[in-house]
Amino acid sequence: MSSIPLSAFLLTALLLFCIGLYGALTKRNAVIVLISIELMLNAVNLNLVAFAKYGVGASIRGQVFSLFTITVAAAEAAVGLAILIALYRNRATVNVDEMNTLKK
Amino acid sequence: MNGELLVFLFLFLVTITGGLLMINLSKVIHMVMALVLTFLGIAGLYVMLSAEFVAVVQVLIYSGAITIIMLFGIMLTKHTEEEPKTSWAKKGIVLTVITAFFFIVFKGIRTMSLGPQADKLHENNTEQVGLMLFTDYVIPFELVSVVLLVALVGAIILAKKDEEGEEQ
Amino acid sequence: MDVVWLIPILPLLSFLIILFTRPNLYRKAGIVGTIFTGAAFGCALLVLFSNFAEGNQLVEANWFSIDSVVLTVGVEVNPLNALMLVIVTLVSFLVHMYSIGYMANDERIATFFGYLGLFTFAMTGLVLSPNLLQLYVFWELVGVCSFLLVGFYFYKPEAKAAAKKAFIVTRIGDIGLLVAIFLLFWQTGSFELDVIFESVLAGDITPSMVTLIAILIFIGAVGKSGQFPLHTWLPDAMEGPTPVSALIHAATMVAAGVYLVAVMYPLFSSSETAMTTVAITGGFTAIFAATIALVQRDIKRILAYSTISQLGYMMLALGAAGYTAGIFHLTTHAFFKALLFLAAGSVIHAVHEQDIFKMGGLRKQLPITAALCLIGCLSISGFPLLAGFFSKDEILASTYADGRYVLFTMALLTAFLTAFYMFRLYFLVFAGNESSKAKESSRIMLIPMFILGVLSVVGGYIQTAWFGTFLGDWLETSPYPITVDHPTAPIWLPISAILLSLAGIGLAWMYAKKLRYGERLNPVHRLLFHKYYIDEFYRVTIVKGTRVIGYFWMYFDRFIIEGGAQALIGLVKRMARAGSDIQSGQVQTYGTVAFSGLVVVLLLIAVIGGYF
Repeated sequence: MSSIPLSAFLLTALLLFCIGLYGALTKRNAVIVLISIELMLNAVNLNLVAFAKYGVGASIRGQVFSLFTITVAAAEAAVGLAILIALYRNRATVNVDEMNTLKK
Repeated sequence: MNGELLVFLFLFLVTITGGLLMINLSKVIHMVMALVLTFLGIAGLYVMLSAEFVAVVQVLIYSGAITIIMLFGIMLTKHTEEEPKTSWAKKGIVLTVITAFFFIVFKGIRTMSLGPQADKLHENNTEQVGLMLFTDYVIPFELVSVVLLVALVGAIILAKKDEEGEEQ
Repeated sequence: MDVVWLIPILPLLSFLIILFTRPNLYRKAGIVGTIFTGAAFGCALLVLFSNFAEGNQLVEANWFSIDSVVLTVGVEVNPLNALMLVIVTLVSFLVHMYSIGYMANDERIATFFGYLGLFTFAMTGLVLSPNLLQLYVFWELVGVCSFLLVGFYFYKPEAKAAAKKAFIVTRIGDIGLLVAIFLLFWQTGSFELDVIFESVLAGDITPSMVTLIAILIFIGAVGKSGQFPLHTWLPDAMEGPTPVSALIHAATMVAAGVYLVAVMYPLFSSSETAMTTVAITGGFTAIFAATIALVQRDIKRILAYSTISQLGYMMLALGAAGYTAGIFHLTTHAFFKALLFLAAGSVIHAVHEQDIFKMGGLRKQLPITAALCLIGCLSISGFPLLAGFFSKDEILASTYADGRYVLFTMALLTAFLTAFYMFRLYFLVFAGNESSKAKESSRIMLIPMFILGVLSVVGGYIQTAWFGTFLGDWLETSPYPITVDHPTAPIWLPISAILLSLAGIGLAWMYAKKLRYGERLNPVHRLLFHKYYIDEFYRVTIVKGTRVIGYFWMYFDRFIIEGGAQALIGLVKRMARAGSDIQSGQVQTYGTVAFSGLVVVLLLIAVIGGYF
């Protein structure tokens, strides 16, 4: 039995999520934005695993789900980076401020 | 103050410090390294949550694979030494919003307690995960493998040099 | 009668056929249109007679339903719209026939007949509508046709401007009608006329609401029928071809406003204020337009102001509870005003001139046109035993019986003015020395005029004090609660009306003579001269006054309204610029905004949910 309360883990996850979000919304470097998104995903994973132990009807399922999330996150990282490189080849920049084709 | 709490505090500090460093460091490579710290801290937290298998996967995938991908991404693109600065106004707005979000959610999770802990998770954790994965979740498992494959192919196609695009 | 639905379909078919085979048909388009509208007229007659025999009829089909509200389309036949159908199809048929001759040299003759067909379809559809929604659809459709036909000579800038003006000014009125329809639907949950009248009579709608709705509907009628203050489009609409003026701007579409008030009569009659508004607007418009008609030089504009004046007369009748009188005058007016317009068209066709001061002595060159025009003028002036005499008397009697003596005096005065300006026109155009060469119009143009001429003579006998009040009794069989009373006027009333119209005719004769020969003053001409000063007086007060007011409003418009509009435009532009600046295309900005939204929602939940 663990003496650490659930809220301690949730707080950790929340902090990580906030940091990741801040990075994703303010950083100019596209690579860092991608990394920040990974951080947010990790925060979510941490929540999943924490609920697997402490949640209502706690069971191993939470951990299995976190595995799925990790897989998807890995796929996302790969595709994200591929897009980044394709973009870099066309625009010669990784600055998200300059990636505003959406405006036109 | 028992040992468990000490370990938790240590891992907590490692994780958060890694995150904060990532935000504040100026060189991109350093940021990624700070991120490795966070990933490892999280892996430790997984172990504390009796999820050894997930912890190992975390180290393998995040600290290993994703970090390497990110490093490749950095190496394949050109970076100015200094991370370009974002305006203070924008940072301020984002910070305010996120702080508000933090406090609202914090208010909710501060006293959260959802009944008894699961106490069998650490016994043959990998076996349990494997059983669940190959019985109840075998179809999602296969689907996820397809997703990975698609992502792989997609990533290759996207990153491949587009000859016609070059000419245009 | 089963042929009811054919009446709108036939002109529509004519429109479609002409539309799709226009290049091949060319001049034959007129024949196609005439045949189809003639068939529609035949159907309308059948419907009219079957209404005598079998009574009213209502056929409806569900169009679509929203929840429990079922919207229907259908056709309805009651005395009022059976009569309207006959008028519309008859005038349309005659105008089609007339146009074959009148438009013979026009390049776009096929287009013209196509538009006429579309208009006839819209107008008959409007008349047949058993619910307000359908009515409104056709109401707008006739507006569109009017726009197309007024702007038929679109290469003339005046015609283009007039078409736009006609469209925009009537649209102002249409907004009133639309709001009224919405209010009625809100109050009764239905567009059906019978449901609406039931709940009005049952007192389900508060009296003030009834008044509001009635006045809004009346605003729609004011726009369509060219009543003061929305009358300005009608004279300008004379830029269209003359047959169009006869059909749309004299006999049918402008009468749609009067028809609307007549259709909604149960609603109007339950509000004293609304009735008074209608009567006062009508009475004022009648005399107002008549005075303007005194000084006009353009033959078609005189007729246009005359139309406005006569429509005001009908409104006055309806407002003074003279339901029969209003409808009666609508009918006779359709005949003699269409006749006058066609006669004017015939004159214009012959001399290519619209200024009556440049015409003269055409009686000898255009004997038939002159005779028919004389019949029209006599009829509209209320010359005894012609159609206009009976309907005008009916209106005067109703107004007198209603007890609004100021309006009655105005109506009487208008009758006098009408006689004067109509005969001023007649004498200036047809009497006097021959001043221009002209050839009588072809037979195809004279036949419709002749038919209308006959109707202008005999059309009045459907409702007379001597032979029985057939029209009133028949209109009373309407399915809707309409009170038709038969006002009995004192004997001096028709006599004074006759004397006034004769005085008007005589005065016009002297006026024309004086103008023609430039005779010096003598005792008889003194009166004429006096009249002349009244002309000048009106010119100074109305034209100059209007111009002063016009300048005031122009500057008001230019500096205050336009300035306001510019400020508004600037504001909107600035807002748009700010908005487009927000749309930076940067995902992070979007993310921030989206997340801020989430936080706001969370905050709301936290506060409302008693989280804090």
